[in-house]
Amino acid sequence: MSVGADLVLESEATVESVELVPDEVTARSPFQLFWRRFRSDRVAMASAIFIIVLIVVAIAAPLIVSVLGLPGPNVNNTNALDIFGSPSGPSVSHPFGVDELGRDVLSRTIYGARVSLVVGIFGTLIAAVVGTIVGLLSGFYRGWTDTLMMRTVDVFLSFPVLVLGLGIGAACGVRGCLSGLIQPGIATVIFIIALLSFTYIARIVRGQVLSLREKEFVEAARSLGASNTRILFREILPNLIAPLIVYSSLLIPTNILLEAALSFLGVGIRPPTASWGQMIADATPTFNTAWWYMVFPGAALLLTVLAFNLMGDGLLDALNPRGTRS
Amino acid sequence: MTAYIIRRVLWGILLLFLVSLLTFLFFYIFPAANPAQLRAGRNASPAIIAYITKELGLNKPVYTQFFDYMKGIVLHFNFGYSYYSGASVIGLIGNRLPATLSLTVGAVLLWLLMGIPVGVISAVRRRSAVDRTAMGTALLFVSMPVYWLGLIVLFLFASDIGKFPILPGASSYVGLTVSPTKWFTSLLLPWFVLAATEAAIYSRLLRGSLIEVMGEDYIRTARAKGLPERRVVWHHGVRSAITPVITVLGLDIGALLGGAVLVETVFDIPGIGRLNYDAILHSDIPIVQGTVLLAAMFIVVANIVVDIAYAYLDPRVRYS
Amino acid sequence: MRTFARSAVIAVAAVVLAVAAAACGSSSSSSGSATATIPLKAGENPSSEVLYGKKSGGTLTAYSSIDFEHLDPGQTYFALDYIVVPNITQRPLFTYPPNSTTQLVPDLATEIPTIANGGITDGGKTVTVHIQPNVRFSPPVNRAVTSADVAYGIERGANPNVANPYFAGYFGSASPSPLEGAESAKYAGGPIPGIQTPNSTTIVFHMTKPGSTTLINALSLATSSPVPESFAGPLDKHSPTTYGSQYLVATGPYMIQANNTTGQFAGIGYQTGKSLTLVRNPNWSASTYTSAYRPPAYLNQINVKIGGDATVAGLQVLKGSDSVQLDGATHTNVKLAYQSYPAQMTITPGVGTWYAALDNAHGVFTNVNLRKAFWAQLDRAAIVKVTGGPLVGEPMTHFIYPGNAGFLQAGGYPGPQVDYNKDVNGNHTVACKYMKLAGYPSCTYTGSQTVQVVGGTNGDFPAWTQVVNSGLQALGFHTHVSLVDQSVLYAKYCGVPKQEIDVCPNVGWIRDFADPLSILYVPFYGPAIVPTNNSNWGQVNIPQVNSAMEQAALVVDPAARAQAWANVDKLLVDYAVAAPEYFSNQPELMSSDVAGVNDQWNQGSWDFAFTSLKNP
Repeated sequence: MSVGADLVLESEATVESVELVPDEVTARSPFQLFWRRFRSDRVAMASAIFIIVLIVVAIAAPLIVSVLGLPGPNVNNTNALDIFGSPSGPSVSHPFGVDELGRDVLSRTIYGARVSLVVGIFGTLIAAVVGTIVGLLSGFYRGWTDTLMMRTVDVFLSFPVLVLGLGIGAACGVRGCLSGLIQPGIATVIFIIALLSFTYIARIVRGQVLSLREKEFVEAARSLGASNTRILFREILPNLIAPLIVYSSLLIPTNILLEAALSFLGVGIRPPTASWGQMIADATPTFNTAWWYMVFPGAALLLTVLAFNLMGDGLLDALNPRGTRS
Repeated sequence: MTAYIIRRVLWGILLLFLVSLLTFLFFYIFPAANPAQLRAGRNASPAIIAYITKELGLNKPVYTQFFDYMKGIVLHFNFGYSYYSGASVIGLIGNRLPATLSLTVGAVLLWLLMGIPVGVISAVRRRSAVDRTAMGTALLFVSMPVYWLGLIVLFLFASDIGKFPILPGASSYVGLTVSPTKWFTSLLLPWFVLAATEAAIYSRLLRGSLIEVMGEDYIRTARAKGLPERRVVWHHGVRSAITPVITVLGLDIGALLGGAVLVETVFDIPGIGRLNYDAILHSDIPIVQGTVLLAAMFIVVANIVVDIAYAYLDPRVRYS
Repeated sequence: MRTFARSAVIAVAAVVLAVAAAACGSSSSSSGSATATIPLKAGENPSSEVLYGKKSGGTLTAYSSIDFEHLDPGQTYFALDYIVVPNITQRPLFTYPPNSTTQLVPDLATEIPTIANGGITDGGKTVTVHIQPNVRFSPPVNRAVTSADVAYGIERGANPNVANPYFAGYFGSASPSPLEGAESAKYAGGPIPGIQTPNSTTIVFHMTKPGSTTLINALSLATSSPVPESFAGPLDKHSPTTYGSQYLVATGPYMIQANNTTGQFAGIGYQTGKSLTLVRNPNWSASTYTSAYRPPAYLNQINVKIGGDATVAGLQVLKGSDSVQLDGATHTNVKLAYQSYPAQMTITPGVGTWYAALDNAHGVFTNVNLRKAFWAQLDRAAIVKVTGGPLVGEPMTHFIYPGNAGFLQAGGYPGPQVDYNKDVNGNHTVACKYMKLAGYPSCTYTGSQTVQVVGGTNGDFPAWTQVVNSGLQALGFHTHVSLVDQSVLYAKYCGVPKQEIDVCPNVGWIRDFADPLSILYVPFYGPAIVPTNNSNWGQVNIPQVNSAMEQAALVVDPAARAQAWANVDKLLVDYAVAAPEYFSNQPELMSSDVAGVNDQWNQGSWDFAFTSLKNP
């Protein structure tokens, strides 16, 4: 937040939060104000709670599956298939039905949360960190730094996903490449996802920095003798938090979906590990008959995507209370 | 401004060269399979494979191969021939490009038409029922894998296999010059599928960006001047807020023009995507190089357009 | 590698098996017996197909999700290419009628050479073939076909620009009975002394050993189709040859639509990845055939649409009109067609085998007892189930598949009754017995080697790779499972001995022609191992097996030959060279107004020269 905005914020907040307690007028810190506003957005709070529950479910998956009395996620059971080898639908013993190998879909959906969350969160985290550094440096310093970094980003962006994904999948599919450095599986997926998404963040951060560096408060700080580093970290970076959060909250579900797309191309998580993306890819050939196989991991994916987005919206609103007036 | 454009164009050419080099090296380091072996067929003797390797020039060092390739492009505009079938790369790509162009342009227009109003409304009426519903629907679509959405759409609406047969289904694409009506109707379902899965991203981007912009001082000033709210929002707010949208749009168009392989497969549209996909698996490097260069060229052009638009919209950027 | 296949008209009992178990809910039967069965509905078994007396005219649409690879008869190899090349656009010397898998009939030739008619002489070392005198090439060549054209068609296979995948194995250096002059691996095209053309309608083949049976069968391959040297010779100097990729002439009832002055079809009748158009060959005459085989060529035109999703295309065929699908029906469409469109699906039995290749030369499976243990442990019935159930296959019990000579002698459906083969559901007790023999008394592998498993990403491959993986893990093996695209699977991993892949669960074999040699020779003969594009995926090299094959290859009497190859099959079972999975059936789909005829010798695929429309 800029200095000027802080002042305005506090004065507004003070007006909102004065209670009629005599002799006691307390000012609240920006964080407390932010939290209050976030808390008042019920939808955002519900989303945040959902995400926390999801993380808990992911961590405690084995416990939950055994408590529910379900078979493990990798237990094949061809007896649950009909005579045509088609999976059977929801039943008492399999609340979410079974997949093409007779494995319990509910069990796999619960375990699938692990992969999706790990891939989504870590992939985005790495992309955000790298992208911010690149965008910040190039937008602020301009000149050769900017040119070099942005041109490198350009080359990355122009290099097609398909070639990268398929090429690595085909070439490194079995024993890895570069003497085992690139092994197929979750690490490669995160690597590819971070590689593809950092460029978006870098470009957007750069654009934001380009605008921000011309603003009055930066000039003001400079005229007060602040060094470049100080301006970068104290003035510009804080103003990037909001768009970063918006874009990251958008990026997490996008990256979870990217993992699904990579599964389609055969570069995904190593089987038989359950991942929502892999499950949806496997369910696609039976799209018109075995609806449960697609719907339940799809619903899990959708709810996760919704939750991250709504929470991100709530965060943005809480950070940015001024804005449109109806 | 002219100098700016010229600089960007020159960089674009250098970029194409770098991308081409990177692709070459990539396949050298990560070969999917040996193209000579693939061509040679079952139980080929080492002698035959060696012969084919020599004919394809694969026994030369990688920098010689790359140099020959570049020479062919620059001097003769010859992008080489498929290792597998011997067909000319330019011919193959030229044959498939119109379909990809048709698919991309229509989808982009549609998702902008869908995404921008939703983004604006959601920003203006924050936290309202309209906002939540619109965003929820948009997010529903973005969560669906594009291949699955394509299949569902065909299964529901395709005139030959759908439950409610209203639009032409898979394999119905014809070129614009063959029959404009058929061309248009056969692309409606693919356009919708592509647009639906992208629109949400744009509406969310715009929403976030617009919310921030609408908090700016000059918006307050515009309101204080007595301008109607709609003008404030669209002419002042959206104009500034659209910049990240345009950034991402440029990248997405470029990528799509490299071929939307999943949509092309589901709807059996003979575009560049499928050509590229099969070529990668066959290590048919001339075709891959050709399509990669094509996609990169589109991205370069799109980026130049975006940068110019950026400079136009935000004068402070222009002259630095 | 799958080439083309021919299915069998086997005893009806083998196809319409015992009454089916009840529908959904009831699953495979208890251990020890075969899996449950499903009776075919009327019209689904192509053995009763009617060939003649249909209506002429009309245009057929055919859907294929994959593209053609080689339209040149000298290179034709994959199943899809076999649908349009032999009998349709090109005329090999011999062929099989649609409703047979074993009965060789003359196509371009006038009769099948036998000892009685003087076609086989010199103790089986010389074969003489006479061709029809008035067969003409399509434009622009137009002239009559001569024996020199047939000779050139075969000889050019050794030219590296053509690289015929069968040449070495059946005519050249890797053949048990090569043509004279082509025995050396150095031979690379040009006239072969062993092929002589005394007059314009006679070809004489000379071999160094008595391999007449193999040779006559091998001449049913597309490569014995005539190719005009004056037209194709210059094209064959390009690498790869442009005959078949840019230019082509036809001798069959149909041709790929082309420029009739230059013969160029690329870009006209064939658009890579998009479409193939077959039109009538103006120079074709129905009278240039013997009565044994005479294609009626009812259709006027066939439009093949390439690309798209196979399940969607299947639905379009089932619900539409005037169309067929060239891909085998996908898993969901088989069930749908059986339940709702039974008259529109045919299921051809005995199309080929699917098995898990085990690396006999490196890693854990060099130990024959471990191979037997895995064979015993593997749940073959589960694999049948996850790929579509009894409609699409039967558990495999030995290596010659139904419909081929030697199948019954080698044990038929139940197969050799060795203990590790008896239970198609997998038998852990028996597996433990062999684990103990292998030196693991706890019935668990305790060694340190990892088992590399490479399967495919296409279709049902991932599911049945998981069944194989479960079998391996149940015996304590540490597995490392990877899935790659099918073309990469063969070209880069399973087909390259140096990669030392321990288990390739998704490999299979379809015969090249109706002789058990073409089923067992290439995949299991030691000297057939090559460093790349290898088809002996398990690198099987057992001296006893090799010599048995060499001897069986030279047997002429059909009954003795069948028994000789059945004995080879039994040896392969005794050495547990690979882990069998299932004998496959091929389901094919057509629209309701199409009177489709299946080539049972070619995987049950649609025969364009016999298929017609009900209302053209």
